[in-house]
Amino acid sequence: MDRQEIEDLIARVALRDRAAFEQLYDRVSAKLFGVCLRVLNKRAAAEDAMQDTFVKIWNNADRYNSNGLSPMTWLITIARNTAIDRLRARKKGHQNLDSPGFELVAPGPNPEQSAVAASEAARLSGCLDALEADRGQAIRGAYLDGETYADLAARFDVPLNTMRTWLRRGLIALRECMSL
Amino acid sequence: MSDVNDTAPDDEMLAAEMVLGLASEQDTATGRKRMASDSTFATQVVFWQERMAALTDEIEPVKPPARLKKKLFAQLFAQQRVSILQRVWLWQGVAMASLLFAGYLGVQLLKVTTHPDIPPPVLAAQLASDTSPLRVLAVLEPVKNEIALRRVAGDPIANRSFELWAILPGQAPVSLGVLPNSVTTRVAIPPLWRDQTAQMTLAISDEPIGGSPTGAPTGDVLAVGAMANL
Repeated sequence: MDRQEIEDLIARVALRDRAAFEQLYDRVSAKLFGVCLRVLNKRAAAEDAMQDTFVKIWNNADRYNSNGLSPMTWLITIARNTAIDRLRARKKGHQNLDSPGFELVAPGPNPEQSAVAASEAARLSGCLDALEADRGQAIRGAYLDGETYADLAARFDVPLNTMRTWLRRGLIALRECMSL
Repeated sequence: MSDVNDTAPDDEMLAAEMVLGLASEQDTATGRKRMASDSTFATQVVFWQERMAALTDEIEPVKPPARLKKKLFAQLFAQQRVSILQRVWLWQGVAMASLLFAGYLGVQLLKVTTHPDIPPPVLAAQLASDTSPLRVLAVLEPVKNEIALRRVAGDPIANRSFELWAILPGQAPVSLGVLPNSVTTRVAIPPLWRDQTAQMTLAISDEPIGGSPTGAPTGDVLAVGAMANL
């Protein structure tokens, strides 16, 4: 996916350019629909999440410039968070994730510094696989299935605080692996 | 390995847990506020967002059904049409001055029209956004092919320039120039665009002094509005 092209489209969407919005939809909707389907696992729910995702993209495109994310990460994060919110809305104690990426961000990070090349995805996969299998699964479960600490503690049948400590150790190991 | 406290996450862990959706509501709220002022922390959040988004690389794209796009565009742009109308009504309530201004232009137009009984439509736009206090009224003067602008709210930003952009459907924004700090100003419409002003959207972006160095908007869009018939 051509990063500069997507970035330009988002910039034009920020200026309320409907044709650019349509082009952006045509370019990225299949990827985002794949993400929504993966999280929600139901077509109807995924279609609703897609609708919300693109309304958010239209309404918040002017925030993209300053948040330091690469354009596909920004779009995927909106789709993933929107889908996870829908998934969690069925459960008790729901908390809304929907705004990461929309908040104003202190100057510092920029997309060039934080850009993740395609090879990084392979590296992440390698690092996750290098973790103990359970920890890798727990991290994927949180990101792709919206599992909370309580869900994970139940799944692995350990106390909540143990789960927390254990997953944080996994994250530290993951960061060290990815920063090499 | 460093000590991991049982409950309170350190910054790096808070950033990762926010991204994964594992942080408590309170920690998430605190973290979001910190992102605005603490660039080290914001960079950590970006680090985790980028890495975790890579988890979706293994997800195959799935073409959504065509009706989804139809529904989306109907929802989004039906609302948009209403909101342009609302903007005009809001305008009439909020800024009496603009009505007088438009009326004055209307009178000027009537003087030159060949059919004085049928006043030509007056095209105007209110430029505003939810994220900035800047509000600018723009009224088109077809006789002189100029856009008359009046800043009704918001102040110039020190050491920055406001740049005006015109956007036609399906085209990249074209700069109409950097705006002076004065409350009112006039901007010429490029000849090529003179018969398309009804489809035009105007926007003002925050740029380095002298305007965008790239020819495209680089800073935040502070105000935007589509031309509408008054």
